[in-house]
Amino acid sequence: MLVKRLQPMVSHARRSYVGLMFQVMGRALQAISEVDEITRNETRALPVGFLFEMQVMPNGPKLIVEHTGNGLLHYHRDGAPRPVDLSIQFKHMTHAFLVLSFQEKTSVAFANDRMLVDGDVSLAVRMTRVLNRLESFILPKLVAERAVKEYPANLHLPEKLLSAARIYLKVATNFVETARA
Amino acid sequence: MTNNYYEFFCPVKVIAGKAALEHIPYELTGLAAKRPMIVTDKGVRAAGLLDPVIAACEESGLEIVAIYDDVPPDSSTTVVRDITKVYRKEKCDSIIAVGGGSAIDTGKAVNILVSEGGDDIAKYSGAGILKHPLKPFFVVPTTAGTGSEVTSVAVITDEKKGVKLPFTSSFLLPNAAIIDPRMTLTLPPHITAATAMDAMTHATEAFTCMAKNPLSDAYATAAVKKVSQSLLQVMDNPKDEHGRLELAQASTMAGIAFSNSMVGLVHSLGHATGAICHLPHGLCMSLYLPYVLEFNLESIREPLGELLLYLEGPEVFSATPASRRAEASISSIRKLRDALYKRCQLPRTLKETGKVLESQLEAIAEMALDDGSIMFNPREVSLEDALSVLRRAWA
Ligand SMILES: [Fe+2]
Repeated sequence: MLVKRLQPMVSHARRSYVGLMFQVMGRALQAISEVDEITRNETRALPVGFLFEMQVMPNGPKLIVEHTGNGLLHYHRDGAPRPVDLSIQFKHMTHAFLVLSFQEKTSVAFANDRMLVDGDVSLAVRMTRVLNRLESFILPKLVAERAVKEYPANLHLPEKLLSAARIYLKVATNFVETARA
Repeated sequence: MTNNYYEFFCPVKVIAGKAALEHIPYELTGLAAKRPMIVTDKGVRAAGLLDPVIAACEESGLEIVAIYDDVPPDSSTTVVRDITKVYRKEKCDSIIAVGGGSAIDTGKAVNILVSEGGDDIAKYSGAGILKHPLKPFFVVPTTAGTGSEVTSVAVITDEKKGVKLPFTSSFLLPNAAIIDPRMTLTLPPHITAATAMDAMTHATEAFTCMAKNPLSDAYATAAVKKVSQSLLQVMDNPKDEHGRLELAQASTMAGIAFSNSMVGLVHSLGHATGAICHLPHGLCMSLYLPYVLEFNLESIREPLGELLLYLEGPEVFSATPASRRAEASISSIRKLRDALYKRCQLPRTLKETGKVLESQLEAIAEMALDDGSIMFNPREVSLEDALSVLRRAWA
């Protein structure tokens, strides 16, 4: 009985967590594209106006960013302005939770059939690299090692701390801006 | 790993062995198909490989109502549309693809159009677009390597836009794969070698990459064993029917393995090299396999060491200390490549191909990084990593 009554609360909590993580990641993606040259080298190859989405099937929370040119990503907090070009879809909220709570690496989740790619696979590979870069930047090393396949060797502590601080700052201001808007 | 999870799926009926082709009429009838169309290429027809297929059907009173034998090595949307026209004009109700990767992919794409309607195959490109089963579809592979008879993917070139359209759906899987040793008996030595090494790579990568799982492992190890035991025998005695069947089965088993657990960096590099330097796929696989295994070594030591049992047999395996088995597996693959080089000059380095310039390595590395298969490689690959593997494969 207890299990039954607890279930909705657990799933509600997961849903809120996943929704929140998508917001944080959306803002962080925008921020990292502004401060990190290596990220921009990846994102520059995306077509201008390219819309990237991560979503939980069937109608769960989503994260949408747009490449506005020169490697810069823009976070769309109110959803996509037009049909997206590339979508990475989690099959279930539980799977999104596993990945976004860093219990399952993004690459492992792909390997485990937790998510589907709809769109150009080569661009999905590129976005996965960007997400890995993001995760190793904004997370403490211990957690990041769980989240990505290999912790980048070229990410030394001062650089990481510095950039992470700037990204956090940017995420924070973005939150404040949203609150004001 | 507590978070371990996997999926395994292969609903293809495998019909293999002596006189397997003669089962086609019965299988077609079982699906209420009466007017099959054959999709194949000129090479298959010229080699006389269609004759036993047609004879097998006619003897059972089943008429092949149309044959399209002009599938190019790199199939296109135009070809798919042309075949669809013939299929509709002749009121066919099923497809038999006879050939290698291109004929099979073309058959899959034609099956989409004739089942779903319309003339624009591009409309169905992508994953999960198809929602219904398609027309009865049979595949008779004539090379032993690609494994396309058990994969749910097809790639067709859109000539006008100059892009490759991928199609992914479990409905693309054929109802049956017919593996008959007669079909591969006349394969020339270098194609036999290259396609078998493609199968070997499928199995090795399936067994060592991130999506490996117990069911695909069983298929992968069996495939490695069959290729190791039979490839050189067939090279020395091309008419060895038993050996040919072993290789054909290995190819299908490796196909089942990799379609469920994916491939890695050997394929990323191979796809890029194929696109830039126009080298055959199997050749690229054979070429890159040991260098990629060396690059991945510390992440795959355990599974790679296990493969030694299937590559070299129980005696060598037990005589090799556990800590040296992974390296011994790589040596075994190198030894096999040397033996193939001796027999048919199958290149072992990029330089030996005579078709790759050192100045192209950078472009190959960049393209490989965007290949879907790189996602499943056990080690993260940077541009520098990819380049260093390419440099080692150079000479
Ligand atoms: Fe392959």
